[in-house]
Amino acid sequence: MTVRRVLIFAPILLILVLLQSYFWVPTYEQQTKGNSARLAEYIAGSIGDASLLNPILSADSASSSINDMVFEGLIDRDEQLRFRGRLAKSWEIFEDAFFYVNPSARIPGLGKADAHTLADFIKHAQKTTRIKDPALKDSLNRITDISVLPPRTFTVSKSFKDSNTGKEKTMIIQVAAPPRIKLVLNTVDQDLFQNLIHLLGKDYFESFHGKDYLKSDSQLSKEQWAAYTRELIPPFEHNPILLFHLRPGVKFHDGHLMGADDVRFTYEAIMNPKNLSPRISDYEPVKTVEVIDPLTVKIVYKRLYSPAIGTWSMGILPEHLLDSHALKKEAIRLGKDPKTFSIRQSTFNRHPVGCGPFKFQNWKSDQYIILDRFDDYWEGPPNYQRYVFRIIPDLLTQEMEFYAGTIDSYGVQPHQVKRLEKDPRFQNFSGVAFGYTYIGYNTRRKPFDDPRVRRALGMAIDVEKIIKYVLYGQGERITGPFVKQTDYYNHAIKPLVYDPNGALKLLEAAGWKRNKAGRLEKNGKPFKFTLITNSGNDLRKAVLAIAQDAWKQIGIDVYTDLLEWSVFIQERVNKADFDALILGWQMGIDPDLYQIWHSSQTNPYQLNFVGYKNKEADGLIIKIRQEYNHNRQIEFSHRLHEIIAGEQPYTFLYVDKWTAVLDKRIVIKTVDDTGAIQYEKITPTKTGNYSFYFNKWIKLPQVPSFMDKG
Amino acid sequence: MLSFIGRSVVQKTITLFFVSIVSFLIIHLAPGKPSQVDPLNPKFTPEIMERFQKEFHLDKPLYVQYIYFYQDLFTGKTVSWKDNQSVLKKIWERFLNSLPLFVVGTLITWTLSFPVGIRSAIFRGGIYDRSATFISYVLISIPGFFFAYVLIILVVTYFHVPVIGMETFGIGDAPATYLFMDRIWHLLLPSLLSATGGIAVLSRYVRSQMLEVEGQDYIRTARAKGLPPEQVHYKHALRNAMLPFVTMFGLILPGLIGGSVIIESIFSWPGMGRMAYEAILARDYPIILTVNFVSAVLVLAGTFISDLLYLVVDPRIRL
Repeated sequence: MTVRRVLIFAPILLILVLLQSYFWVPTYEQQTKGNSARLAEYIAGSIGDASLLNPILSADSASSSINDMVFEGLIDRDEQLRFRGRLAKSWEIFEDAFFYVNPSARIPGLGKADAHTLADFIKHAQKTTRIKDPALKDSLNRITDISVLPPRTFTVSKSFKDSNTGKEKTMIIQVAAPPRIKLVLNTVDQDLFQNLIHLLGKDYFESFHGKDYLKSDSQLSKEQWAAYTRELIPPFEHNPILLFHLRPGVKFHDGHLMGADDVRFTYEAIMNPKNLSPRISDYEPVKTVEVIDPLTVKIVYKRLYSPAIGTWSMGILPEHLLDSHALKKEAIRLGKDPKTFSIRQSTFNRHPVGCGPFKFQNWKSDQYIILDRFDDYWEGPPNYQRYVFRIIPDLLTQEMEFYAGTIDSYGVQPHQVKRLEKDPRFQNFSGVAFGYTYIGYNTRRKPFDDPRVRRALGMAIDVEKIIKYVLYGQGERITGPFVKQTDYYNHAIKPLVYDPNGALKLLEAAGWKRNKAGRLEKNGKPFKFTLITNSGNDLRKAVLAIAQDAWKQIGIDVYTDLLEWSVFIQERVNKADFDALILGWQMGIDPDLYQIWHSSQTNPYQLNFVGYKNKEADGLIIKIRQEYNHNRQIEFSHRLHEIIAGEQPYTFLYVDKWTAVLDKRIVIKTVDDTGAIQYEKITPTKTGNYSFYFNKWIKLPQVPSFMDKG
Repeated sequence: MLSFIGRSVVQKTITLFFVSIVSFLIIHLAPGKPSQVDPLNPKFTPEIMERFQKEFHLDKPLYVQYIYFYQDLFTGKTVSWKDNQSVLKKIWERFLNSLPLFVVGTLITWTLSFPVGIRSAIFRGGIYDRSATFISYVLISIPGFFFAYVLIILVVTYFHVPVIGMETFGIGDAPATYLFMDRIWHLLLPSLLSATGGIAVLSRYVRSQMLEVEGQDYIRTARAKGLPPEQVHYKHALRNAMLPFVTMFGLILPGLIGGSVIIESIFSWPGMGRMAYEAILARDYPIILTVNFVSAVLVLAGTFISDLLYLVVDPRIRL
């Protein structure tokens, strides 16, 4: 019967056709051992694909890791996390400071003075030896030039929302500004004006009535006037200046020379509202970016804001490929409207051109991105010929591919490291990550407004055990809000010791006593609250259960809840509707804590959702972000760390460790001046970055014997 | 016939309209915001979020957003919020990737299920039937990803050949036949895995259909006439048992676009399912809605085709 035969033979034939393909496929052996080109390739496995290969637009980690290879910034951080020059050879930081002449103020020993007298007075004060105050003397010594700016009149138009009608209104303000004194300082000095008070009189700046110089026809509330006055004629102003000297002869991948215009263009591209750059807030404090000559850029800031220096690690875009002329041409070629066409729509984002060590070759969505080494790289080309970014969304499959040798690195998990530790083929690394996990208490609510209660709650939890059993030892304790491997972290502060009895004593001091049933109560009210976290994070879930149990043991009724991430954020965190929660922060290296710890950031939808308020801390946070001197920043942040650790608005739990595994045959290869090749073992830097010397890595056919370093 | 076609086109258009409204609402009612508007990133100030929302029309009332979206969709202007690529282009690329997986998977399912099911029915209660039943239940109850892992580990450790992705990574400039065969090899495991569940279910279904038909009077008549058993089974019984499967063929159409999230993720297959899944995680509304809309169209088209097929194969049915 034909029907029967067809029914039987069709599947057999199909299976045979499929199976025979096995004989055509190259084995892993052929792929990894048989070709020497593989040794010059580095293949990194990643769970997710990149989205936009443009440093000013991308916000995800996969895109950034490619952008870091293709693009290069003016500066970056060295092994010690200090700034070092990349496209910028060197840079200078100094400031211009301004203040308005206050005609009504009486200056001690001078009386009322006009601008020129005042300027001469300060010049004279610089030379005289009569001034005893060392701080003032120090400030005066930094001034290199004093000049008088004549009075000027100008008009500004401001649009604002009418509070009654809710409509947009425009108003015109006439400003007749008095003369101004300009001071040029050789370093940034945030205390300049506080110190100048000792010379010019206590209320010289305070008694300056800016509003007298403004005029407008529109009706405005007092607060609005105050805000405009502060903005339009502030009594004094700091303008920090960053002067970058660019490295000559640096080329983009297309051979075009990189210059100051490209830096200015990158800044303008970020600020252009059409491009919707997520980094716009980083550059908001910039007043102007001036091109002095093709290799010098001067960046003037509106105010003291030291985190701004770090933003210049942003990759520099090539102006000649993305300026309005190029975009217009591309829009026409693609048949799009040139008016709405922006960098965001450009095909550049899928074919980037930068001046980093690797140049872009090819991108297959959700499969791989291939980069080739850039032979004209200013620091000398990397050892690897090719960098491949392979997208493998499944962790176990990644591990299989790693064993087979078709990827060189992947996001290895702590438990996988345990499996690989003893394998002689691999070397493994681990180091402290840049983020921490904490329990945050809503300090607006009782009893969490009492620091003793918060401290007691922290003391009742055995964090060491959490690290040992939940994290497989891949974590470290942390005591405060700074990144542990930076200088800002205060190592003098010891973590809370696990001590349930001590916790009970503290709680007793705060008025919480154990009743007959062993439950804590105060004035007849039992101690109970809800601890929440987001679902989908097993580590946090485990910590949730451990904390609940630990607190139950000292007599606190704790309820727990796991919420879907967006509900958790929108309904509970943003609205500050919680008792206590478990969350984590990813930290940057910069010590600026304004958004997370300043008391002005405690409103709904802001990041100080625990409602932490402390006057001294506020002052220090502001001082830290205004300070340009590294040592003083350290001094301030150590104190801030101490205050926060003392008040325990968070129970700081742990910072986890990242882990990495590599084939042992991957080593650092350096060629010295005589041409002799040296191999070194890959070792993490002091701050725990194992891929810091990636450009010097290479894979060898065999593990070399390393020379002992004495 | 013509009136049936006309009626059903009108009905299905109305259904489609409601589907578009409901899916639009569900996505916007679901908690969470597009990842570009992530509220817990300290870098995103309220002003930036507002600008993003404006750009994506998220600040407009829902019905306006709805009109914007479908206007863009029908003029082919929709772009993904994640990377500004055209959504239709993205879907088309992924569709082409998922297509071979789907075709081979379906071929395996349909060619294997019939002989297995028919044999079970003919030798009902025998050792073969019982073990086939047992294996079917095993296949149905063990999740696909488990098989996938076991298979990958076995193949990689014993045969030392790559199985991940659509082709061997870095195969580069091999001769065309090698490239082709390499692709077939990479198709084998994922399509086999996506077929296992189907084979288990479909062969059970074939068996019960056959059994039902074999019990009919006309089969007894055929036997009584003295026809050889082979002819009774494969001609008289099988043809009638096939009827429901013809209609099922129309219903596999939506599977074209669904893809398989789990299999595609495990095998790093850049297909539709993975793209849709990642779009959901990133709240990339244009992708989610377009995939949703296209699959709704395919479901409706599938039912329409199966109605027509029924009409063709079974002359007793009049619509």
